[in-house]
Amino acid sequence: MSSLHKLYLKLLFQNKGMVLLGILLAVITAFSGIALLAVSGWFISAAALAGLTAASAHAFNFFTPGALVRGLSISRTTGRYAERVASHEATLRIISTLRSNLFRMLSRRNWQEQQLNRHEFSSRLLQDIQHIEHIYLFALVPAIVSLCVVAAYMVTLWMVLPGALPIILPLLLLVTVIFPWLYSLRVQQPEQKQHKIESLLWLQCSATFSCIRTLTLSRRLPEHRQTLLQIATSADEAEYIAVKRQQQVLLLTQLVLGLMSLGTLWLAIASYSQELLTGAEVFMLLLLTLGTADVLINSCPAMANLALGIAALERLESCFQEIIPVDKRIFSQDISGGEITLQIRDLSYTYPQQEKPTLVQFNFEHHGGGWFWLQAPSGVGKSTLLHLICGELQPQMGQIQCQNLVPSQIGLQPQRIDILRASLRDNLSLHNPLTDQQIWQALTLVELSEWANNLPQKLETWLGDGEWQPSGGEAKRLGLARLILQDPQLILLDEPSAGLDSDLTQKIFTRLARYWQDRLVICSSHDLQFRKEGQPLLTLKTETDHLD
Amino acid sequence: MRTSTAAKSQTLLHHLSREAKGENLLAVILGLVQVSMVILFAYQVSQILNQVVYESSSERADAITWFWLALALLIRTLAANWQNRLGNRASIKIRRHLRKEVLTHCFRLNVALFPQFNVAELSNLLTTEINSLREYFADFVPQKQLSVLMPITVIIASAQINWLVPLILALTAPLIPLFMILAGREAAVASRQNLEQLNRLGNLLADRLKNLQAIKLAGSTEIEADCLEKQSDTYRHSTMKVLRMAFLSGTLLEFFSAISVALVAVYLGLYFLDKYEVGHWGGDLDLGDGVFLLMLAPEFYLPLRRMGSLYHAKIDAISVAEHVVRLQDLSLDLTEMPHSNGPEPLKNLTLNHFQAGTENALHQSLSISLKPGDRLLLNGPSGSGKTTLLDSLAGLRPLYSGQMLLNGFPLLPHQNKQWWSTLGYMAQKPELFYASVRTNLCLGQNFDDTQLFAALREARAETLIQTLPGGLDYEISDSGGYLSGGQAQRIALARIFLHQPSLLLLDEPTANLDPETATEFMHQLEAYCQSGGILIMASHRPTDRSFFNHELTLNPQGRGQ
Repeated sequence: MSSLHKLYLKLLFQNKGMVLLGILLAVITAFSGIALLAVSGWFISAAALAGLTAASAHAFNFFTPGALVRGLSISRTTGRYAERVASHEATLRIISTLRSNLFRMLSRRNWQEQQLNRHEFSSRLLQDIQHIEHIYLFALVPAIVSLCVVAAYMVTLWMVLPGALPIILPLLLLVTVIFPWLYSLRVQQPEQKQHKIESLLWLQCSATFSCIRTLTLSRRLPEHRQTLLQIATSADEAEYIAVKRQQQVLLLTQLVLGLMSLGTLWLAIASYSQELLTGAEVFMLLLLTLGTADVLINSCPAMANLALGIAALERLESCFQEIIPVDKRIFSQDISGGEITLQIRDLSYTYPQQEKPTLVQFNFEHHGGGWFWLQAPSGVGKSTLLHLICGELQPQMGQIQCQNLVPSQIGLQPQRIDILRASLRDNLSLHNPLTDQQIWQALTLVELSEWANNLPQKLETWLGDGEWQPSGGEAKRLGLARLILQDPQLILLDEPSAGLDSDLTQKIFTRLARYWQDRLVICSSHDLQFRKEGQPLLTLKTETDHLD
Repeated sequence: MRTSTAAKSQTLLHHLSREAKGENLLAVILGLVQVSMVILFAYQVSQILNQVVYESSSERADAITWFWLALALLIRTLAANWQNRLGNRASIKIRRHLRKEVLTHCFRLNVALFPQFNVAELSNLLTTEINSLREYFADFVPQKQLSVLMPITVIIASAQINWLVPLILALTAPLIPLFMILAGREAAVASRQNLEQLNRLGNLLADRLKNLQAIKLAGSTEIEADCLEKQSDTYRHSTMKVLRMAFLSGTLLEFFSAISVALVAVYLGLYFLDKYEVGHWGGDLDLGDGVFLLMLAPEFYLPLRRMGSLYHAKIDAISVAEHVVRLQDLSLDLTEMPHSNGPEPLKNLTLNHFQAGTENALHQSLSISLKPGDRLLLNGPSGSGKTTLLDSLAGLRPLYSGQMLLNGFPLLPHQNKQWWSTLGYMAQKPELFYASVRTNLCLGQNFDDTQLFAALREARAETLIQTLPGGLDYEISDSGGYLSGGQAQRIALARIFLHQPSLLLLDEPTANLDPETATEFMHQLEAYCQSGGILIMASHRPTDRSFFNHELTLNPQGRGQ
């Protein structure tokens, strides 16, 4: 069994009280509903038959069935409410732990080479997580209820109308096993295809809106609109066919259930004429069958949800099975303690999907603090180098040695600054304990204190999607503030000045040069105008340099 | 504001559901067919039981009764299936219509969509959000009418035999909407209080995964995982608070449904035992009548219960509709002016007191006259309205005030398609869409490979394209790591050389380029100007001021940054 299956079962076990309560209540509710119909049917037909003669009418005990009917209607109602509350509670409890566990597992993977922010991948991932979250409520509970109802129905038949079992049993098998299996196949296959088309549509939408100026001026928008609508139509068609196929299986299920009801009635009447059954039991059996059929119609979607959930667990599992690369960087400490040293030898890196290396035989050595500017034409591997030093990527060739430094003392500002949907404070501290004073000091260093002061709730203002959105330049500066607060010894800056005004950048960089004077800073930038006196320049060799 | 959005979104949903009026009508009719078949089924069962059990007049009942019984079941099942398929078709039809409308509206709004909406949000709206309306239009809309019509049919049918049973049903029915409204209001209050929190916490995992890098770089993934668990627990508490209220309305239906069966059963049982004699129209009730009435009792509440289970579809639909309404509220004066001046050679372009802006002017008024070969630098800090000004010049936005003269004749640039054909526009992020390099370059016009390569050579992108797999037919996508920002910018530049627009608008094109590439880029622009093009470039950090022969500094007006 895979680790994720185990994890899910463990979560069920951890919350077993609520999980079992939800299932138990669901079963009780279903039983009460069916029993209410059956007992009512028995009661009125028995009463009608007893009412034929005054004597039997007088002797008829109507208190017990009357009380039973009232009791069942109450237990059905309260059972339904309690069941829904309990099963949702259980689901949400499972989700809490599941989410944090999945996050932990996902964050351990190396995402640098397979971009997590690629839409198709991330939307697939989120959808899989959703399928897993649905397993308990939409698969386990209804499936167990169906099983219990079938079992109880068969026991009743065996007691009252055993002759019907050979005929009813195959029908039940069809409805609870074979059709749900068919149905889940019909759900699973198109689900993948539909997801693919929908994510293609998303990408095309996003590309079109990003290029809206060019497309408008060249009057290509109508054509792109047509393409988008065409993709949407094919997505619609996929959905239509998928739903139609599901409906076909459901139609079969319903027809078989109808046949089962008719068959039961027919056989019950046959038994009655042989005096194996009382008249009141005939109607009771029919209502029992109809009630059972109402529950069993849900076993198809339940099975499909289970299949989707299991497939999602397997897909996620395979995503964790990829080998996590070993950190090839070498860290060492002088016993006497000394300056930090960074030594890079013959470092080369080729991205998995590319033939040519992006970074070619890079060498670097420096002891102590200092600010280096990394310069190279775009596409030559500036970001790649920074990610290699930071450990986000592992090189195919060459070596990185760090002395008097531990991995957590390396800080990187990536090109794209992620803004979490969280308060400004949390966005800056990222769970490190910090005082307000430290945060405000960092904000002042990057010229954001006034901005932060003008936010509606200052440090507690929520940023990110659907909340307060910082502009590109503000995000860059928030990234710098994050680094200041993390207080690393080796600082890697990837295009920190892109999108900032020159005056502002000049001011911030002058300040940072002083603030980080004893740190080792490697800054990739195409804006060398911010370079200060005495800050050395590093250049990267390009592939073409070699050829030339 | 909030109420008007809510009202508008209700109207929108109503309006949309009429798009599939035919399908909906047929679905309602099929729903009525189903309930009629249920009644027929109940009637035939009652006949059989009466004949066989009560009167013992026949051993197996008539074949014809069995035939009708089977037929009723069959027709009911088929009608239900057909209704579902119709709903499915109607839902697709409506969503397709809505998607088309939203897309058309977005394209009409064009750059005015931003910054109120962002690209990811619009893409989500057009895909996931509109798709989430599936159940609403497929099931909820027809069910809304059926939840009234089906119970009435049941009442009429049972009233043929007895007056007390339909009375019991009819009396409990009006209580349901009343209680549902009360419980629903409680739930709405509870959910409104929690709405912000629910919205934040519900999407937390997706957000954290999207922004995983920041958390990883800070080395706090473990703490974040613990936080996620804690926050999910908070989410659970507030969700359960809402759900406990929301489930009440469903429970209420369940209660009435169960209690009505119980009441009818007890009433009939005692009636048969001659405890009292009320409720019938005259004549006596036999077992068949009892069976018929009892079988119909649960059917009375069934449509309402079904609708209750679809309630979440309605809530989802309203939130999507509100999003669409928010988009529709962003309206714009888009009347297309009769444009007289054709694509004549651009000899002179004059701006007279030109000001860009929507509600307020974004900068001071500008006046300048440009002739072929001129290079104008628009200088100003970020937030001074440079992009809006370029968009207004391009005719993508209406101008705030002022005038534009083309060869001495007034020109209305807004929505002027002839004006567009003389323009080139390069944004800060190169606008390459997901298609082949060829399609990206040609933009719908015909060029042969020699022309394409000539333009690429001028933009120093020839070798780049030759090394790409497939060359000119290389498909640009979000997954390829082949094109860096500078390389993409060079392809966008090749596009300009290929089309040779009379006026080129540039929005910080060198912001993401290294100095060498930037210098090279400016150098290539020189070639463009020498061949007679007018160039207007916005930048807050011009690397090469000497390149330009005109310069205007934008002073932000009003609110500043």
